[in-house]
Amino acid sequence: MNIFFRELKVYRKSLLFWSLGMIALVASGMAKFAAYSNTGQSMNAILSQFPQSIQTIFGLTGFDLSKASGFISVLFMYIALMATIHAVLLGAGIISKEERDKTAEFLFVRPINRARVISSKIAAGIINLVVINIVTFISSVYFVNYFTKDNSTINYVITLMCGLFFLQLMFFFIGTAVAAINNKSRTSASIATSVLLFSFILTFLININNDLKNLKYLTPFKYFDAKDLLATGKLDVIYVSISLVVVFVMIFMTYMSFANKDLND
Amino acid sequence: MNIFLRELRAYRKSVLIWALSLSLLSVIFLMLFPAFTKDTLASQKVIEHFPLAIRQALDISLQYFFTIYGFFAYLLTFVGLAGAVQAMNIGVGIISKEVSGKTADFLLTKPVSRAAVITSKLLAAFGLILITNIVFSLVSLVAANIISTTKFDNNIFALTSATMFLIQIFFLALGILTSVIIPKIKSAISVSLPVVFSFFIIGTLGVILGNDIVKYVSPFKFFDTNYIISHKSYDPKYLMIEAVFIVVAIAISYIVYTKKDVKAAV
Repeated sequence: MNIFFRELKVYRKSLLFWSLGMIALVASGMAKFAAYSNTGQSMNAILSQFPQSIQTIFGLTGFDLSKASGFISVLFMYIALMATIHAVLLGAGIISKEERDKTAEFLFVRPINRARVISSKIAAGIINLVVINIVTFISSVYFVNYFTKDNSTINYVITLMCGLFFLQLMFFFIGTAVAAINNKSRTSASIATSVLLFSFILTFLININNDLKNLKYLTPFKYFDAKDLLATGKLDVIYVSISLVVVFVMIFMTYMSFANKDLND
Repeated sequence: MNIFLRELRAYRKSVLIWALSLSLLSVIFLMLFPAFTKDTLASQKVIEHFPLAIRQALDISLQYFFTIYGFFAYLLTFVGLAGAVQAMNIGVGIISKEVSGKTADFLLTKPVSRAAVITSKLLAAFGLILITNIVFSLVSLVAANIISTTKFDNNIFALTSATMFLIQIFFLALGILTSVIIPKIKSAISVSLPVVFSFFIIGTLGVILGNDIVKYVSPFKFFDTNYIISHKSYDPKYLMIEAVFIVVAIAISYIVYTKKDVKAAV
């Protein structure tokens, strides 16, 4: 329990900055919407006739930018990017920082087994993810209402945030698994981040070339694509299942590798 | 000189991985170009049905956009992002790693001035970025020449690919500045990622929404492909902004670092 509270305290300041960043992102995005919704429409209608690849390159994703729901969908890509960067860094950092900061010896000579340590750290990490998710949710709802006076989107925002939470969980546990497997504590965050960057870039490659669409299972960003969520209004069962499998495999790998790890100090 | 060589060696593997993965990404992406050309033909048909006024307004940008430069420039938005992460990481890490790795007192008790230390490190960082870019640009240029079915101007292509270099030195300077200002950095990547992605998100969202101010804020938007193609050079306005920023950032870094109270290992 001590480790749990200690980790919460350690990450307090970083959580605050990330939350503020998230609020700023949502606020500035929605503020621009207010300005944009009056103009831009005709251009949007014209560009929507282009093939998908061209639209993607133009930064349009087939959403109706004159509606709040379309707008928040565009924003969601960036919200997801930011939240997953936070998650992956948190996951990799919370496990590897004891070795990196040379405090592993101090921690692991305590009468607590490694699994308990990992569990406390994961629990503290998940609290952080939940806070970011709730902050994103509240600021989205607030700024959508503030700028558009459109209350109809709240259910859609809830769906998006559920998707966001799965994304956060996946990348958080990818981070912990990398940190647990990797023997050089300094490189854990970089490796975990490469996985994230790779998925992010792959998402765009898939969008511009239809032949690559079978690769969509390789990138979590495609599992919770705002376009699908807006069309169906709910999360796809298949993708949720894949996400859960990914999460459980990563948790399993985290515990297994860490239990047998030769900690260097 | 010793510090310079030592830093190059320390980053040898990392720069190799970066240069190779960026080049590989570029090759994979360029291989999609023939399929993309088909989509552009369809788009041009769509355009033909538009009223003349709109066609004229669109054509100017689209005409460049459908070329290999425009296509490659799209890749550069992502390669530039990854490259910015690399540069910022090197910038933040190359000085702060002495403190976080507890080697600061070893290094700074040598008979070398602080200014000499930071100069060697700066040059090493610059060299690393240069190597990455030479590999990336050469591979991309060769790949484009093999893959492209249409003829294109190698100079314009090279200018386009060198925008990555300009983005990278911006973030390198920003990284160095950050690392001398923030007293204690435990992990370079947890500083560089949020910063780089903030600039990226600001730039991209700004452009989607047609906000012009961001063009002066986000280096990702400094070097516009349309401008490069029509003028065969970069926009001097943005080159100035970048140059001023880099000079100021490096100058501040020197001043701060030579006077800084560097934390010794305990």
